[in-house]
Amino acid sequence: MVDVSRVQKELTECNRDSAISGVSIALHDGGSSISHLTGTIAGPQDTPYEGGTFRIDIRLPGGYPFEPPKMQFITKVWHPNISSQNGAICLDILKDQWSPALTLKTALLSLQALLSTPAPDDPQDAVVAQQYLRDKSTFLNTARYWTEAFAKSDSTGMEEKVQKLVEMGFPEDMVRSALLSVNGDENMALEKLCSS
Amino acid sequence: MASDDGSGSHLPEKKEEVAAGAGFDDLEDPRFQCCVCLELLYKPVVIGCGHMSCFWCVHKAMHFVRESHCAICRQPYNHFPSICQLLHHLLLKLEPVEYKKREKEVLEQEKSVDTYSPQIIEFLNSKDNNCENGEDGDSKLEDNISKTTPEVPVDNAINGHPKKIKLEDVSCARCKELLYQPAVLNCGHVYCMSCLPFLDDEALKCQVCGGLHPGGFPNVCLDLEHFLEEYFPEEYESRRRKLQFGITQCTPEGSSPGTFCTKESMNRPSKQETYLQQNRDLSNVHVGVGCDSCGVYPIQGKRYKCKDCTELVGFDLCDECYNTRSKLPGRFNQQHTPDHRMELDNTALYGSVLRFQRIPEEGLIAELAFIGPGGMVQVVDDHEMEDNSEDEQV
Repeated sequence: MVDVSRVQKELTECNRDSAISGVSIALHDGGSSISHLTGTIAGPQDTPYEGGTFRIDIRLPGGYPFEPPKMQFITKVWHPNISSQNGAICLDILKDQWSPALTLKTALLSLQALLSTPAPDDPQDAVVAQQYLRDKSTFLNTARYWTEAFAKSDSTGMEEKVQKLVEMGFPEDMVRSALLSVNGDENMALEKLCSS
Repeated sequence: MASDDGSGSHLPEKKEEVAAGAGFDDLEDPRFQCCVCLELLYKPVVIGCGHMSCFWCVHKAMHFVRESHCAICRQPYNHFPSICQLLHHLLLKLEPVEYKKREKEVLEQEKSVDTYSPQIIEFLNSKDNNCENGEDGDSKLEDNISKTTPEVPVDNAINGHPKKIKLEDVSCARCKELLYQPAVLNCGHVYCMSCLPFLDDEALKCQVCGGLHPGGFPNVCLDLEHFLEEYFPEEYESRRRKLQFGITQCTPEGSSPGTFCTKESMNRPSKQETYLQQNRDLSNVHVGVGCDSCGVYPIQGKRYKCKDCTELVGFDLCDECYNTRSKLPGRFNQQHTPDHRMELDNTALYGSVLRFQRIPEEGLIAELAFIGPGGMVQVVDDHEMEDNSEDEQV
């Protein structure tokens, strides 16, 4: 059985300074199970993930904290150590290097650090890793694009803009790609949609 | 939390501080928070690297097939240390209310799995440990606590004295003075680092209980050291000065006491290496079975099991402890006595466990790598695969 008292302590502890640390944890979908949580981490500065908010699915196995928590990105992210398909993470402390002295907060902070310093030699996603090694600028652009597309929609009012443009009669997928290509600038997107 | 808001609005940093304090349940000293359960340490155990956790937190974190690693520094260790009674009594005085609360909670958990941590045993403090361990085991926790309190000198009483902890509570087992750079041995007894070299140098042996300390020199328990430094600033400083003057006398090599640990552990890698090599060959490992005397976990080589102990965890000895006729009681409050019959037991050997559970070799490691040893012991003892037993034990 999960050590409920410890998990509760961890949640309070983590969310206390989430404004500074950039990581926070909540029950999954506002549910009631303490063993299914959702973590969020802010994309680190000076990386293609900057400005994005990444959501992580957290499941606590029965042996937690003596077993590592199971973590997976819900938000799609372009990173050599994170699967672009299903968000699976390749990080040693979530596997054999887990220690019961680590917490969900330290694990999320490690993920944040992983975003800053990819380890392409130990990849989770071979395609991304190859691109990272062979063509860094394309990698950076793709990662930035994915951050814009998937990790920012809520925070920058993207959904509202999409809604507006769709109401003008443009198809949604075209609206989204237009908005993305101009970094979310509504007017430029409109121009683009009209000219296409 | 709500009451903090008023004052906090003026000084945001202050608010942070207040909030952080509350996270430790307002413990007098947050350094005595267990890094695993995040509660006040209960029945603290200090590993050779100097880091401490609760009795159960250390035990549950130990690997049941391979060597274990400290949760904080990852230093490998093979022996489950005994409870540090000095720290136990210190915490009992420092945080009486919270400690009693923890005692109650842990006892409830122990009852639910019918496996108990040692009730705080007085005879570990005395040299003659050939006493009536049967009686000791019988007595309930409350009795044991009340039995230990009269031991404490009258002037030690908390009331009327500003300091809850007295110098006598934190004195070295050898020099009887305030502990300076305290190090805890596998048996749970605490010495000044500079007092350790005086012990039998071949194998570090506790002068109080005669227990051997395996795995090289222990490190200073820094949390305890910092506590003493703050709690007894003058006394600690005077100990420091005294020891630095007398250093040539204490240590023939003239090195500072703090370097013993690293020096000695450097000198002893061979032992560790051989253990590691043996460990890689798992065929002689008794899965999830620890020695109730020296604490080695899991046992390698010959394993002797008590035929007369009825407790769920059983009572086991490694070859060495069996041959030295250790008279220590079990690690889990078993009612073992020296006249019990012991027999060789191979049921928990790695190979038989694999066959018995029909798990491929790698599968066992991956699947059960973190399961508490209680569960394993039960599975092995019953000779029946009970799927639920593991869950119950955790």
